[in-house]
Amino acid sequence: MPFITDHILSWVTFLPLAGAVLLWTVVRREGPARWLALGVALADFVLSLHLWFHFDAASGVDQFVEHAAWLADGRIAYRMGMDGISLMLVMLTTFLGPLVILSTWRAITERVAEFMGFLLLLQAAMLGTFFARDMLLFYVFWEAMLIPMYFIIGVWGGQRRLYAAVKFFIFTMVGSVFMLVGILWLYFQAGSMDLAAFLSLHLPRAAQLWLFAAFFLAFAIKVPLWPLHTWLPDAHVEAPTAGSVILAGVLLKMGTYGMLRFAMPLFPEAVTAFAPAVSVLAVIGIIYGALVALVQPDVKKLVAYSSVSHLGFAVLGLFSLTPLGVAGSLYQMLAHGLSTGALFLLVGVIYERRHTREIAEFGGLAHGMPRYATLFLVTTLASIGLPGLAGFVAEFMILFGTFNSGTLAHGRLLAVLAATGVVLGAIYMLWMYQRVFLGRRDNPKNEGLADLNGRELVVILPLVLFMFWLGVRPGLVLDRVEASIARVLAPLGVEGAAPAGHGHGALEAPAADLPAGQGQFVFRNAEMR
Amino acid sequence: MNGFVAPSVGGQLDVLLPYLVVAVGGLAIMLVDALVRTRRRDHLPFLTLLVLLGSVLAQLARSGGEEREILAGMMTVGDYARYFNLLFAGCGVLTTVFAGAVLERDGRGRPEFYPLLLFSILGMMVLAAASDLLTVFLGIETMSLAVYVLAGGVRGDVRSSEAGFKYLLLGGFASAFLLMGMALLYGFAGGTAFSDIAGALAAREGDLGLAMLGGGLVLVGFAFKVAIVPFHMWTPDVYDGAPAYVTGFMATAVKAAGFAILVRFAWLMQPQLAFVWYPVLAGLAVVTMTVGNLVALAQSSVKRLLAWSSIAHAGYLMLGVVTLISPATGGSAQMVLGREVGESAGSALLFYLLAYSLMNLAAFGIVASLGSREGEADDIERYAGLSRRRPVAAAVLAVAMLSLAGIPPLVGFMSKFYLFSAVVRAGLVPLAVIGVINSLISVYYYLRLLVVMYMKKPEADGYAGHEPLAVGAAAVLAGLVLLLGVVPDGVHRAALVVFRQMSF
Repeated sequence: MPFITDHILSWVTFLPLAGAVLLWTVVRREGPARWLALGVALADFVLSLHLWFHFDAASGVDQFVEHAAWLADGRIAYRMGMDGISLMLVMLTTFLGPLVILSTWRAITERVAEFMGFLLLLQAAMLGTFFARDMLLFYVFWEAMLIPMYFIIGVWGGQRRLYAAVKFFIFTMVGSVFMLVGILWLYFQAGSMDLAAFLSLHLPRAAQLWLFAAFFLAFAIKVPLWPLHTWLPDAHVEAPTAGSVILAGVLLKMGTYGMLRFAMPLFPEAVTAFAPAVSVLAVIGIIYGALVALVQPDVKKLVAYSSVSHLGFAVLGLFSLTPLGVAGSLYQMLAHGLSTGALFLLVGVIYERRHTREIAEFGGLAHGMPRYATLFLVTTLASIGLPGLAGFVAEFMILFGTFNSGTLAHGRLLAVLAATGVVLGAIYMLWMYQRVFLGRRDNPKNEGLADLNGRELVVILPLVLFMFWLGVRPGLVLDRVEASIARVLAPLGVEGAAPAGHGHGALEAPAADLPAGQGQFVFRNAEMR
Repeated sequence: MNGFVAPSVGGQLDVLLPYLVVAVGGLAIMLVDALVRTRRRDHLPFLTLLVLLGSVLAQLARSGGEEREILAGMMTVGDYARYFNLLFAGCGVLTTVFAGAVLERDGRGRPEFYPLLLFSILGMMVLAAASDLLTVFLGIETMSLAVYVLAGGVRGDVRSSEAGFKYLLLGGFASAFLLMGMALLYGFAGGTAFSDIAGALAAREGDLGLAMLGGGLVLVGFAFKVAIVPFHMWTPDVYDGAPAYVTGFMATAVKAAGFAILVRFAWLMQPQLAFVWYPVLAGLAVVTMTVGNLVALAQSSVKRLLAWSSIAHAGYLMLGVVTLISPATGGSAQMVLGREVGESAGSALLFYLLAYSLMNLAAFGIVASLGSREGEADDIERYAGLSRRRPVAAAVLAVAMLSLAGIPPLVGFMSKFYLFSAVVRAGLVPLAVIGVINSLISVYYYLRLLVVMYMKKPEADGYAGHEPLAVGAAAVLAGLVLLLGVVPDGVHRAALVVFRQMSF
């Protein structure tokens, strides 16, 4: 079907939008609305599989490129493209899409068609953000994400949803409007909104520092980097389960994606100047998030703060400015998307049954709900970073990259400090698991709760499967992103990151003669040094 | 009658036709109202729409819109005037639709409304084409006198009367400034035609002090009309007191007319006077945005909120005017870059006025439609749960609010994008930063209305007025807001052509 495959990125992006329009105008009844939304999300996933299988992993340049003049005689254009980095995040998005819709099957009973419409609209905006290769187009998608999320939190959220929704909106806007001024300034330097034209600019150092600050603020709020994280716990706690999953699973990655795609390659000198400060903030975030998570009485809030900690790792990896750390950061985005997304889904499951998320209310749930307890345990362990699960690979790569970073003056100290975050992570997650699932079932309200039903298993199991898969087979991801990361980091002049040839082996997946496992490329990297 | 030479209108009839259609149409409707009696008296809005349609057709029928002086240089008709005339006619059409629906609902006969609306539009059309200080005054007074009555003419409504009276007094005050400034300019240039002034400025003849002072006073007169702080004091009260359909007209068409002449005048005075007035206007733009947005934060009345928001938007537009006359623009005859900056600012202004009219009319249309005989839909708390009672109206209002806040992919974002990119291009990055901070502040109060409509439970005394025609018209506007947000290029290109033609 060439008319689809020639414009595959547009199809993937706008199919959910078409679904949303249908849901708002034609398909208004609850039942059909649910099925339509699910069908559209599944179809979008199938379309995105085309990207996965036809992606040329050897090449780091944008593929499936689309181009059409839009404004200002084509200086601002509809430019879409996809490299390995985008591919991974896009697959994560389309993969989570149907699962999220399925998870709301019973949880959302009011204004179902509107809700599903907003979910699909959000998906379209997120996908567009990952594909956009024109700065204005990117900005439009970036801002367009706000509206559906704002409604999802504000209309279907919990008690303090109004506060949380407005706070989410304003915080995100604060960052992005300064970025807009930066984009405008660059536009007149480059004479085009094309990202490639931006990248070929040679900016003076002073300008780089200002522009980096403007861009970085937008992305750091989205991540969220400590101390800009305060909107996140509110948004997570008040959002309905589906909103939390999308927020944690994909939306937060917009921040780290933006840093990697725009802030870092566009302003290399500023990155080197800011990297020590940023990595300190990231480490503070890792430890602070973990400590705060430790004392949360509410499971969902605990998971929300654990996101602050985990995303701190992602930022640390990026600003280690080593190919290994950056790849680990990307891996962390995926691992966190899977494990935290699954955690929010699982928290939603128990909330639907008990209408509370207070840890103190639970205890001994494992007795009545073995399937639930097992899957929760696997997810918990994935979140902690147990070897064999996705999180381990990511955190190991990040810590290793930071430890060996040539640009971070105190790389080793930071790596050690960040590693305490891993330990703290184990403490708060396992302690929470213990209080919720183990021990005696004291509270009579916890008796007779139904275990996971078929639909819920269908939602959770694919996530768990991928946690394992990514845990034991990192090449699945790393093979596809290596060239792209090298290309993105090229302007930074990072050691071992020159495009093709030099340093090509740094991220090489396990060779055939070595036993399979995630460790090899790490150690090979170590040997190379 | 020997020796009397009648001015030859014959050769200019085609370009005067739109003006004549509106003028004669207005008079005819007055006669029709006096002579024809039907039971429901709903023929007046139809006739008004017909007249406006006729003027639009007369505009479009004339091809080749090169700038051309008519009536012995009193007016310059070209694409610039035509662009604004179409905008005024559009605002007039929608105002007629909204007013027709609301007046019928309230059972108030207001037959004088329609001719007055047409007369005010005539004044605006004259204003947009003015190329002589006398025409400017003529246009501004024709427009204003009609609008005073529109705002204050709801019989038995004290607030409306107060609004009309306040507007009249302060408007008279503004006219005095305007006239004084014109007198000084006449003293400087020895003539009232724009070409005289431009000639004198270019030749650096006469007393430049007079020109500066006169230009400043004229600017004050315009600033009153478009509600620039500190000449904005009338705005909240008048916007609040006047019925919503009139407020919508005032916030869009009147403001556009004010900026139409302001842009032309600023461009005329730009080369030599920029260095005097530029810092003052830059300061006023910043103050206007900031005051408008900050005060809007505290409003509990929807109409007052929209009034302060319109002041804030006047500030953004002023930012465009500032860019237009900024030193970077460097005068019409100077460097190519300066010319490009001027053109991007001018076209951004024209686009912004159109965008602003679309979204604001949609908002006021919904506000007008939600009221009832008991009163207008003004209390923000009573919008609670509107999305359940009136989903379409709530959605249209939500689109208008998000667009006013400048969220993509709506036209409000694109208009701010064009405007701020002109500002940045002129090298005025600090002003652009202040602008985006302001639009950030504005997000909060625009969202408030969304929060109330979508996220609060419906109350028993919530507004539930329903005028299908008005809501339908507003929904069309919301559709345009979205459409022009995605594909603004055609209109922006047209605005660029229009401005380029005017500025030569």
